Amino acid sequence: MSRPASQGRLLPYILISPLVVFIGALSFYPTVLSTVQAFFRVTPLDPPTRFNGLENFRDLFASSAVRTSIANTAAYVVIGVVFSVVLGTAIASALQQHFRFRGVVLALVVLPWALPGVVEAVIWNWMYDPNFGVVNSVLRSLHLIGSYQVFLGLSRWLTVALIELSQIWQITPLMALIILAALQSVPRDFYEAAHVDGANRRQSFRYLTLPLIRPALAVSSVEALVLSLNIFDQVYVLNGNATLGSSLMLQTYIVTFQDLNFGQGYALSLVATVATALLSMTVIALLYRRSQA
Amino acid sequence: MRTAQLLQKQLNRLALCALVALGGASLPIGAAAASTQSITVAMHYPSPPRALLDQFTKQTGIKVNWVEIGWDDLQTKIAAAATSNVYFADATDVDWSKVGEYAKTGWFYPLNQWFNPAQLKPDVPQVDTFEVDGRLIGMPFDASFMVTTVNTKDFRNAGVSQVPSTLAGFTSALKRVQATGMAHPLDIHFAAAEGLSTCWYQMTAAFGGRVLDRAENPAFTSPSSPGYKAMAWMVNAYRDGLVPKGNINMPDYTGFTTEMAKNRVAAVLCDYSGSVGSIYNVPSSSSVVGQTAYVPTPGANGPGANVANPDGIGIPKTARDPKAAALFIKWFTGTRNQAIWAGLNGPKDVIEGFPLPMRLSSLDLLAKSGKLAQAQQLEQLLRQHAEAPFLEGAPSWYPAFSNAVYTNIHEAAAGQESVQQAVQAIASQVRQLKS
Repeated sequence: MSRPASQGRLLPYILISPLVVFIGALSFYPTVLSTVQAFFRVTPLDPPTRFNGLENFRDLFASSAVRTSIANTAAYVVIGVVFSVVLGTAIASALQQHFRFRGVVLALVVLPWALPGVVEAVIWNWMYDPNFGVVNSVLRSLHLIGSYQVFLGLSRWLTVALIELSQIWQITPLMALIILAALQSVPRDFYEAAHVDGANRRQSFRYLTLPLIRPALAVSSVEALVLSLNIFDQVYVLNGNATLGSSLMLQTYIVTFQDLNFGQGYALSLVATVATALLSMTVIALLYRRSQA
Repeated sequence: MRTAQLLQKQLNRLALCALVALGGASLPIGAAAASTQSITVAMHYPSPPRALLDQFTKQTGIKVNWVEIGWDDLQTKIAAAATSNVYFADATDVDWSKVGEYAKTGWFYPLNQWFNPAQLKPDVPQVDTFEVDGRLIGMPFDASFMVTTVNTKDFRNAGVSQVPSTLAGFTSALKRVQATGMAHPLDIHFAAAEGLSTCWYQMTAAFGGRVLDRAENPAFTSPSSPGYKAMAWMVNAYRDGLVPKGNINMPDYTGFTTEMAKNRVAAVLCDYSGSVGSIYNVPSSSSVVGQTAYVPTPGANGPGANVANPDGIGIPKTARDPKAAALFIKWFTGTRNQAIWAGLNGPKDVIEGFPLPMRLSSLDLLAKSGKLAQAQQLEQLLRQHAEAPFLEGAPSWYPAFSNAVYTNIHEAAAGQESVQQAVQAIASQVRQLKS
């Protein structure tokens, strides 16, 4: 009798073992390897691999291109998280209402999320085009500009904002879906009770909806944070390798695969990983845990 | 008992999954082993016509799988495959700018056992671009070099019958074209991409110098040096409005040449040899058919040099069948085939975007057939003016150098820094890379 019982205890471990192996091989091992190698000089142009302590980090932070990319990435994160979560909440609130063709609208809203980042960036590149772009055309027909303008590549913060706009367009549907799911789980009785107590729509949203969807807001904020901190496709297509709008991920790619300085590439990846983890934990501490309390 | 049965079932399924996975993994290896005379060629060019590849298979028994990958992605793939010691192709791209890097890393077989650079030199003037310390890292497969292209009709309309051969005269002529109503008559790359770096080397050559000296030290820091003057001239051309403002963010070569093909500009500096025949004279995509011509590159005091940036093909150390790959390279770079890729048999056998054959003998064939626009002029430019951008070949740290070049010139043009600051930043990067 004891044998089947012990096998029963083993079963869950056996069942999850493929996943453990998978995560270990594809996530844990590379993370450990990258972390260790970040403290070594690793480049095929200057073998052999040798320990160099914090030199990779010192060299990286001395580089103006890296510092610019970190500042730009901070801007991408702030703009990306704030706008995608706020817009996602607004879209989710609208989609919670029942109206004709709601299903079609929902499908259309999700569409940008379904497209690959590179494809979207190419579309936005056409839209921003200084010769035939629709953005120029619209602004000119509204008499906001006199002649067609170059939007990308001349002003740093305009370039950063426009690149991030294309990413917001891509990631907002995901935020909307997460928040919509949370909104639909709020019992209608609560709103009726609030209405009976004299709360108007704004007060219901402020004091009822927001606290109840806080966990979803935390999840969507972390999603937006991770996606905007790792922005690459849009930056590469819309801005090329220019430092002006460069991101941390683009700089990691340049250092690793163009300069072939793998040690510095590992170090920059480690910086991105630590930043992602710390910022995600901060968001969760601010939003999620407070809602749990 | 039920738990035991369930466990048994799960274990059976796991075993089955493992079997399928192992079987699936072993199949391609077995297949590859059975057909050793099949090679993969990974290039950033479209494939030669299938019928001609089939002819090669008939002659040699070697089947060619041609894989086209974008230039940047291909460079990443070469580096990733080499560092992880994984096969991805039997023959692949060896860009002129990567020669120093590959010589240092040893990622490619020297081709000397199959090709003799000294014997090739009279017919293949750019072969030495691919040679480092006697080792032939790649075999050139085209004769791409930078040229100056003008729309002769636009210049004539502006009262310029003879395109000036000095940069001062050329600038004045462009301003006259501008006065006729063409807002920005000159095309130069300004996006932060390799094309901008190459254009600076070209303009430096036009001013009569090179960006690095023989010891690979910066030769562009003095305001009187050709490199400094070239950068200042380029940045001023952009800031003064001779160059379309949109070029600051136009990394795509197709978009760049479209400006000329659609007559939005009247001249292209740092154009590719072959553009007139393969782009500007193609009626389906050009509105300037018959109007464009190659002219000697304007220089400081007369015609300047043309920087050579040929593409090469090599055999990575991870190749499965280097001998078959070498046979293919011989066939691919043969005199007649080179002429065919450039149009000897007419458009049906052309490799789309192919600039020029790397062999002078192939150019002769084309010139005699009359199927290449301005073939004799191109041949003359190739023989007399095409120069390697670096005296000792591209340095092993070239990619990091080029990155510093194009990001800083881009920033100078965008007004984020001065030419002086850009020059100092690039020089500082060179010193750091050399240390």
